[in-house]
Amino acid sequence: MLHSRILLAAAFALLPLAAGAETPGVSHDEITVGSIQDLSGPIAMLGAPVRDGMLMRFEEANASGGVHGRRLRLVVEDAGYDPKRAVLAARKLIQRDRVFAFLSNMGTPVVMASMPMIVEAGRPHLFPFSPHEATYLPLHPLKFQIYAPYQDYMAAATDYMVKTHEYSRTCLLYQDDDYGLEVMKGVEAGLARQGRRLTERTSYKRGATDFSSQIARLRAAGCDLVVLATVVRETVAAMTEARKLGWEVDMLVTASGYSAQTHALGGPAVEGLYGVSVLPHPYAEGATPELAAWVARYRERFGAAPNVWSVMGYTAADLLVQAAQAAGPELTVEGFRVALENLQIRPDIFGGPVYRFSADDHLGNRSGRLAQIRNGRWQLISDYLH
Amino acid sequence: MRTPLRWVAWSALALAALGVLAAMGPDYALGQLAFVATFAIAGLGVVLIVGQAGQISLGQGALMALGAYAQCLLVRLGVPAPLALPFAMALGAGGGWLASLPARRLGGLYFAMSTLAFALIIEELLVRADGLTGGAAGLAVPAFAVGPLAADSAAREALVSLLVLALAWLACRHWVDSALGRAWRAIRADEAAAQSCAIDPARAKTSAFVAGGALSGLAGGLYAHWIGFLTPEQFGLMLSFELLMLAFIGGARHLAGALWGALVIVAIPQLIALARDLLPDALASTAGLEALLFGGVLVAVVLWRPQGIAGQR
Repeated sequence: MLHSRILLAAAFALLPLAAGAETPGVSHDEITVGSIQDLSGPIAMLGAPVRDGMLMRFEEANASGGVHGRRLRLVVEDAGYDPKRAVLAARKLIQRDRVFAFLSNMGTPVVMASMPMIVEAGRPHLFPFSPHEATYLPLHPLKFQIYAPYQDYMAAATDYMVKTHEYSRTCLLYQDDDYGLEVMKGVEAGLARQGRRLTERTSYKRGATDFSSQIARLRAAGCDLVVLATVVRETVAAMTEARKLGWEVDMLVTASGYSAQTHALGGPAVEGLYGVSVLPHPYAEGATPELAAWVARYRERFGAAPNVWSVMGYTAADLLVQAAQAAGPELTVEGFRVALENLQIRPDIFGGPVYRFSADDHLGNRSGRLAQIRNGRWQLISDYLH
Repeated sequence: MRTPLRWVAWSALALAALGVLAAMGPDYALGQLAFVATFAIAGLGVVLIVGQAGQISLGQGALMALGAYAQCLLVRLGVPAPLALPFAMALGAGGGWLASLPARRLGGLYFAMSTLAFALIIEELLVRADGLTGGAAGLAVPAFAVGPLAADSAAREALVSLLVLALAWLACRHWVDSALGRAWRAIRADEAAAQSCAIDPARAKTSAFVAGGALSGLAGGLYAHWIGFLTPEQFGLMLSFELLMLAFIGGARHLAGALWGALVIVAIPQLIALARDLLPDALASTAGLEALLFGGVLVAVVLWRPQGIAGQR
């Protein structure tokens, strides 16, 4: 009795393997896409809007008839920034949900732990939220990325700022981890282009709230530009501390500090802050009619205002939709890859970069642009920097 | 009467497991099994320290980190993975010895705080020693392999983990039944009384930490391979708490508690993820739903079995 049940169970378990050679995750009326998000961990405030942005784009595609008649279905797993859960989630999505591709997986530990088994299973690994080079180098047919390492953005931004404002004493306040070190490399490279070096650098532990000693030290060094390798809260704290002391130094924050929360939390203290923007924040006021309509639809669907992370999720999903559309009615992984590599991407309604992939470059964009907080909101002040 | 009932319960459980396996697909289930077995090994370490010797250790995650990094670095140098495991154990044991030193002067909560400090120091060292550990940027771990034989599928990972778990279990069984185990339980019950029976509490605590550290190091060595990528933040306080929770949920006084605890800590979040797929979309997409449900399950288990699943009712 028991034996026959085991056999039966084993037979059921093997069923999916026998299903044949068609592309996993692609049936005649549906394409299943997987995403490993952080909805409960330390970067859950990014995970939820990214997921909503992707959902919104897929729902729009479905409302207009799908991709070659196939509906798009997004299966989201929450790994909470834990690589162990990421490995299990990747296995579930590959085996049980049989997803066609992975989209916007969130967090470097999650991505680094799950990416090998994803590409091993032959599934495209698309646009993960990890600035790690391994997400697109060495060139791999299944790995595509649209976010460059911080280093690239920061080198261009520092170079541009020093050139246009003629700063002579650039300093750095950085988070004491891989993120901070990556930014430091970029800032040093940017300064080197102008034949300069960092005047002073000082670090803080992740989660710090008091920046008085760091700001005092930077002030004593006579900095005229302080680059902040901080996230939202630390950006606000550092700048507020400087202004409290009456130090009106210019500050430039990385894309991690480019968030509507920065001016919402910082108020007048962060007025004049420069930031690097990879994708613009979708403000409803002053938006083009298309963007305003998009913001309204997003609000109605999810009950919250969209932010830059929603735009990132939406953009990533849009690239997938465009490539799947271009790949034709017979969707295969190989066809999808070729389509993505040759995709002529239209400028979007957000003013984001025009992504471009090729057969020997799977990083779709390398440049950000400069923004500044003016009158309580981010305003773009430069074109895309190279 | 009790024994047949027990058999019925076990076969029901085995059938349920088979059903889950069939529903989830073999690789997914075996991948889970590999992690459950790996965490059960670390759990055995906690059971020895917390359940047997009665010491609170808040630094088990750091001991696992020592094993994981030792394993990763040795394998990267070309040492075959099974031969590197004893070194991972040795480093874990060494770490356990170090962490137990304050027990000679401190007791109770104060000693627990010192193990917490130990965990923080180890995590910080792993970040600072970036020439060796890759720092916060992390380190890729090669596959668990001996020559051409590699544990590169979920089934093989599970097999290796179960094999190692079985060996660890036998060793623990042996220790618990020996004079060493009696000494641990004696100091747990009453240090002064144990001392009057010629048991040296400091030695007993140290031996518990060395054995527990070795098991954590061993688990860390396997964990490194199954994850394939190490960063210090993976071994933060969260992991230490998770391991402590594992032991209490499973039943810290029983070796079987490590198995139950690992099953709850590793597999329940995954079962919740599966169950969530059945919920209506609007509810299923609530952020933090899984954490909430997991918390609920933990509270229910604690109320149902205050002594842990393996403990007396």
